[in-house]
Amino acid sequence: MKGIKPVTRKELYHIFRDPKSLIIIFLMPVIMIFLYGYAISFDLNNINIGILDYSGSEISGKFIGKFLHNDYFTRVGLKSGEHQSLGTYEKKLKAGEIDEIIIIPSDFSKKVRSGIPVEVGFVIDGSDSNTANIIYQYNEMVIFDFLEEYQNIRDIFKVNTKIYFNPELKSAYFFIPGLIAVLLLMISALLTSLSISREKESGSIDLIFISPVKSYEIIIGKTIAYVFVAFAVESIILLFSKFWFGIPIKGNLLVLFGFSLIYIFTGLSLGIMISITTPDQKTSMLGTLLVTMLPSIMLSGFIFPLTSLAEPLRLISNIIPATYFLKIIRGVVLKGASVSDFLFNGLILLLMSVILIFLAVRKFSRMRRIAG
Amino acid sequence: MKILYLIKKEFLEIFRQRELLFMMLIAPVFQLILLGYIVTTDIKNVPVGIIDLSTGTSTSRIINRIAGSGLFDIKNISRVNRDSVNELKKGDVKAIIVFRDPVKTGRSIPRYPEIQILLDGADSNSSGIAAGYFNGIIKNYILDDIESLGIAPIVKSKPLIRFNPELRSINYMGPGIVAVLLTIITLFITSLSIVREKEQQTIDTLLISRLRPYEIYIGKALPMGIVGLLNMCIGVLVAVLWFDIPVRGNLFYLLLSAIIYLMAILSYGMLISIFSSSQQQSLFYSWFSIITFILLSGLFTPLENIPVGLKWLVKINPLSYLVKIIREIFLKGNGIEQFYGDLLSLGLIAFVISSISIFNFKKFISK
Repeated sequence: MKGIKPVTRKELYHIFRDPKSLIIIFLMPVIMIFLYGYAISFDLNNINIGILDYSGSEISGKFIGKFLHNDYFTRVGLKSGEHQSLGTYEKKLKAGEIDEIIIIPSDFSKKVRSGIPVEVGFVIDGSDSNTANIIYQYNEMVIFDFLEEYQNIRDIFKVNTKIYFNPELKSAYFFIPGLIAVLLLMISALLTSLSISREKESGSIDLIFISPVKSYEIIIGKTIAYVFVAFAVESIILLFSKFWFGIPIKGNLLVLFGFSLIYIFTGLSLGIMISITTPDQKTSMLGTLLVTMLPSIMLSGFIFPLTSLAEPLRLISNIIPATYFLKIIRGVVLKGASVSDFLFNGLILLLMSVILIFLAVRKFSRMRRIAG
Repeated sequence: MKILYLIKKEFLEIFRQRELLFMMLIAPVFQLILLGYIVTTDIKNVPVGIIDLSTGTSTSRIINRIAGSGLFDIKNISRVNRDSVNELKKGDVKAIIVFRDPVKTGRSIPRYPEIQILLDGADSNSSGIAAGYFNGIIKNYILDDIESLGIAPIVKSKPLIRFNPELRSINYMGPGIVAVLLTIITLFITSLSIVREKEQQTIDTLLISRLRPYEIYIGKALPMGIVGLLNMCIGVLVAVLWFDIPVRGNLFYLLLSAIIYLMAILSYGMLISIFSSSQQQSLFYSWFSIITFILLSGLFTPLENIPVGLKWLVKINPLSYLVKIIREIFLKGNGIEQFYGDLLSLGLIAFVISSISIFNFKKFISK
């Protein structure tokens, strides 16, 4: 075990010798959190509509008013020279200037007055199926509103909604803890991903091979050096999220740090495993990105809820470290969950790290034997 | 024609390594297919718990509708009250729906129960959508119920969906992902091109060669441009053949936009390479750039919500234009008359980036 310390010291020396890289490592996550805290949001709060009112009556005016008084809809008028016709609006729909056309038939007011059901046409841009679905739902909501008033079915039924943990449904509260999880894994893996392949490329690996230090000491020593860096990065982005975006940390900070330490270790071992398997830095980098970036963003529940995924994909999500840590960090930060709620997730992460380190050491010693 | 030798050398370097070749050409296909399946998942099977404390008959019919909708996955139904907050905290359910008898107002048996929905707001997105689904189910229930009493709703909607009538999300996401494929590999490899030679000191050999600066520049960038276009072609093939995405527009415009886009991305990669002093640094720079490009491109999240103060970031992001153009070409069949504005902006960005990049490259060479 006494070989670990000098390896760690050497690696730390290596890290601090390149302050430019170090600054990037610390600065980038903060900038990213800053950007995405503001920029990412799924909420669709502006639907541009074109309205063709063939009825032109008081009732149709009221019907349209229901849409315009709703915060979601914005009416896009015609420019001078444009005809008030379906063709004009269809063109606007194609150019993406509007998302939907509402067509009110000429017999709208007559029918509504005499209680005969009337159909209102909605032409929706379906390119983005999600948006189209939301627009459809908003339409129905507004129509229901109108019906309530005109058919006196108001107040017969109420759904009372109560939201816990994030009452204003702020996207940032959802995204930022998730982003911390995703970034932390990527940074940890990237940090170690070059540590072995760099030595392979420069040839200094031979010096390590012939040194008396044991293989497991080299692997563990190198990993430990980066634990400090990754942990510092995490603390900084956590503090930044708390003080800049006001993300409340409801749970125990120590619990969070404890779990993060395991998670960081998982990321670092993943990186070192990749570093050993790949011949040079270029390949290690691409490999690390392939393994960490897209899977952690897409398959961990960071953006897309896991329960909606198809069965085979859900199985894959089980081997992605971010999946487990995402649950932990959201639970602890937003809901104030305790250690016992996530013991299982922590254990899985620990297990993953141990397996990865074990494989890395085995592969490294084999390489060493062949070289020797 | 000395430049051809450099291009040949760059290609040799790519083909020499099977791992690299695999990552450049095969991995994107896997990613596209995988991503295609993931990003098309609409939110469904939202896990919910139900607490039913009501006595009326409506409740069970409403629960049946919830179960039948496919949007919710009912984890448990209990007839007694329980600690719902703790259940939400553990995250096993995203919502708990409580049915109660309304407070009697003296009239006959209440027709509808009182409903409360408790949402886990941590996942703000799915919670909001789930609440929307739920309200929709309830409203439809009421409307049907009233209709059975002889009161038909007087206004009905007749929706007509354009461009993507079956509302397949892959039709929207697939083309966007093709745009991303053009980005990742190309930016990474070009961002390493110069710095790697700096690190291995082979750069001096290149500098003392008889190649002119612009020849070195093009010789380094062009091979990756070809790889990028190859990636895109594979991507388009997968999109059309595997995912059955319609191509309504002219693919020539796609090629044109892709080439302009590649000019921007490759010069940007070269710029990173010139400024970095180690491969590690350039890796971090391009990694950061790619994530920023992707998240601010409108690929996953609508761009309308970005605050005005940050809108300029979208405006200078070349990927945001390509994603928009590519979608319009695939789905709407738009021609140049609809997106010439975007194409011009993209061209301007490409021009500015390449100018800066070439300027700095010359400065670097002359040192």
